[in-house]
Amino acid sequence: MSHQQEIRDPIHNFIRLNAEERKVLDSVPFQRLRHIHQLALTYLLYPGATHKRFEHSLGVMELAGRVYDVVTDPDNLIDTSVWELVPRKDRKDDLEYGYWRRVLRMAALCHDLGHLPFSHAAERDLLPDGWNHELLTLEIIRSEEMREIWDEIKINPEDVAKLAVGPENYKGKEYSDLEAILSEIIVGEAFGVDRIDYLLRDSHHIGVAYGRFDHYRLIDSLRILPRGDDSQEPGLGVDEGGLHSAEALILARYFMFTQVYCHHVRRIYDIHLKDFLIKWLPEGRFSTELDEHLAMTDDEINVALLRAANDARLPGHNEAKRIVRRNHFRLLYQRNPNDLEKNQEACRAVYESVSVSFGEDNVRFDSYRQKGGVLDFPVLGRDGRIASSYNMSKTLATVPVVAEDYVFISSEIREDAKRWLEKNRERIIASPREEDEGS
Amino acid sequence: MKRLQTEAVVLSLLEEMQEHGSWCGETHLQKATYFLQELLEVPLDFDFILYKHGPFSFDLRDEITAMRGDFLIKYKNRPYPYGPSLVQDAGGARLKERFPKTIGQYSKKVSFVAEILGDKGVSELERLGTALYFTRHQNGKDEPLNLQMHKLKPHISPEEAQEALQQVADIMEMAEKAKLVQ
Repeated sequence: MSHQQEIRDPIHNFIRLNAEERKVLDSVPFQRLRHIHQLALTYLLYPGATHKRFEHSLGVMELAGRVYDVVTDPDNLIDTSVWELVPRKDRKDDLEYGYWRRVLRMAALCHDLGHLPFSHAAERDLLPDGWNHELLTLEIIRSEEMREIWDEIKINPEDVAKLAVGPENYKGKEYSDLEAILSEIIVGEAFGVDRIDYLLRDSHHIGVAYGRFDHYRLIDSLRILPRGDDSQEPGLGVDEGGLHSAEALILARYFMFTQVYCHHVRRIYDIHLKDFLIKWLPEGRFSTELDEHLAMTDDEINVALLRAANDARLPGHNEAKRIVRRNHFRLLYQRNPNDLEKNQEACRAVYESVSVSFGEDNVRFDSYRQKGGVLDFPVLGRDGRIASSYNMSKTLATVPVVAEDYVFISSEIREDAKRWLEKNRERIIASPREEDEGS
Repeated sequence: MKRLQTEAVVLSLLEEMQEHGSWCGETHLQKATYFLQELLEVPLDFDFILYKHGPFSFDLRDEITAMRGDFLIKYKNRPYPYGPSLVQDAGGARLKERFPKTIGQYSKKVSFVAEILGDKGVSELERLGTALYFTRHQNGKDEPLNLQMHKLKPHISPEEAQEALQQVADIMEMAEKAKLVQ
C-alpha cells in the first residue's frame, strides 16, 4: 500500500498519491470531475479558465496532508492545552495519527464529488429544496461503489464524510474538537486548503496575479491554538511569523471575489445558463438520483447548448443563443452606496420597477453577499502570548466585505432602459416605511 | 419574518447587549441570538448546531457579514489580546427607524436576553449556550447531561457543565414567570 504515484501539477509541481488514494482517483465519481469546470462559464471572459474540479481536488488533498504534518508536528504543539487533543507521531497512538492523516487526505480528495455540472452556476435554483452539492457529496461517499473502497482500506466513510463537508453542511452531526479542526483544515473560512488551492489555481489559469500569496510560508506557520481570550476552545491559528502571509491570503480572496468571481459578465452568464437549464432539464431540475447525477457533466450540457442555440425549435433556444453567440444581457444598474443610504434594498426596487416597465423576460436581478464571519483567529506571538488576529493585524481589520447587486437588461433595449432609469431612479429608490410592507 | 426585519431585531439585540455591559463580539451575538430564538421563541429562523463555543449558526454568521456589507454594523478593535466588538454602522439607525413595529413586538424578549447575558464572557456564554442546547436536545441517553456535555467539550468540566445546566433551568423559569414564553 505504500507505493507512491506522482502527478504533475502546475500549482504544486508534484502531487503524490498512494495506492489507497489511487483507488478513489480511479472511481467513477472522481473521474467525473475531469468534466466539471471549476469556474463554470468564466472561460467566456477569461479564456484560460478551463481547469476542472479534478485537478483542484488533487491539489486540496496535497495541501491537506501538508497542513496536517505541520500542525501535528510535536515541535509545533506549543500550547499545552492541545497536547491531548492532537494525534501525535511521537506517542503510542501512532495508529490514530496515521488513521486521521489518511481520512483527512481522502476527505480532501472527495470534498467536491457532489458538484453539479458547471459547479456553482446553477446549484441554488436547480436542485430540490434542501439539496446542495455537499449533500450529494455525502451521498456519493456513502454509495455502494465508494463503500467497497472504504471497506477494503479500512476507513470509516462517516469520518471521511464529516471532514469533507464540515459541520455547516452535515446537519445533525456533532463534531468533536479534533473533527472540527480537521474539517477546518479542508473547508475552514480562514485557512481551509480548499480556498488556498482554488485561489492559487484560479489565478494561475485566469492569468491574474492578485490571487497569489506565499502559501508555503502560511502553511508552515499554521498552529492549533486556543483562542486568545477567556475561552480555551482550540482552532486553527498562525504563528506570528506567518501573519503577513495570512493577510495576503485574505487580500487575495477579496480581490479574486471582486474582480473575478463577482464580475458582472460572469454572473449574467450563470443566469443565462440557469435559464437554459430550467427549460432543458426534465421538470426543470437536476436529478438527485446518484446514477443520473454521475451521468451528467458539463460535456452533455455543452452539446445541448450548441444544438439549442442553432435550432429555434429546441427548448432553451433563446437562452442558449445568448451564451453561444455572446449576446448576454448588459448591466443596467449596480449597488451604489449613495442609493443604499436611502433604501437598503435599492437594487431590488430598481429591478422590480424596470421589470414592470420593460417586461420580466427582459430583466434579471443578481445579488451576492460574502459568506463567512470575521477572520478572528488566534495568533501566537513571538513572546509566547496568544492574541486575536484582529488585534495583531491592522490589515485584516480593514478588508471590506464583498457585496454586489446587479440589474441586467436585454442588450436590445438597454439604451431605452438607461434613459428611463435616469428619469425615474430617485422615485424608485425612495425608502418604504414599515406600514407599507406588512410583516 | 422578512430578512430586513430580522436584521432590525438583531440590531436591537446588539444595542441592548452593549447597554447591559457586553463588549459584544460575534460569539456574544451568536449566543444571545440563540437564547432569543430557542428559549424565547422569536421567529428568526436561524439554524443552530453545536459547534465552536457551543450553539452556532452559520446562517447568522453569514447574515452578520451581509449586515457589515450593507453598512448596518461594523467591527471595532478592542485592546490586546481580544477580538473585535460589533457596533452599529451608518445604516443601522435608519433600518431600525424603518421597522418600529417589529422591534417593539420583541423588545421585552430582547431586553430579557440582554439582562441575563449582557455581563457574561465568552467561556460562560459557551457553557450556558451548550447547556441550553443539551437541555433542548435531550437524546434519551442514560448518561447525565453534564457528562455528555463534558464528553463533547472536554474543556468544560462536569462540575461546570452541571452548574450551567442549573443556570439554564433557572433562566427558563424566570422567562416563564415573566410570561415571555408559553
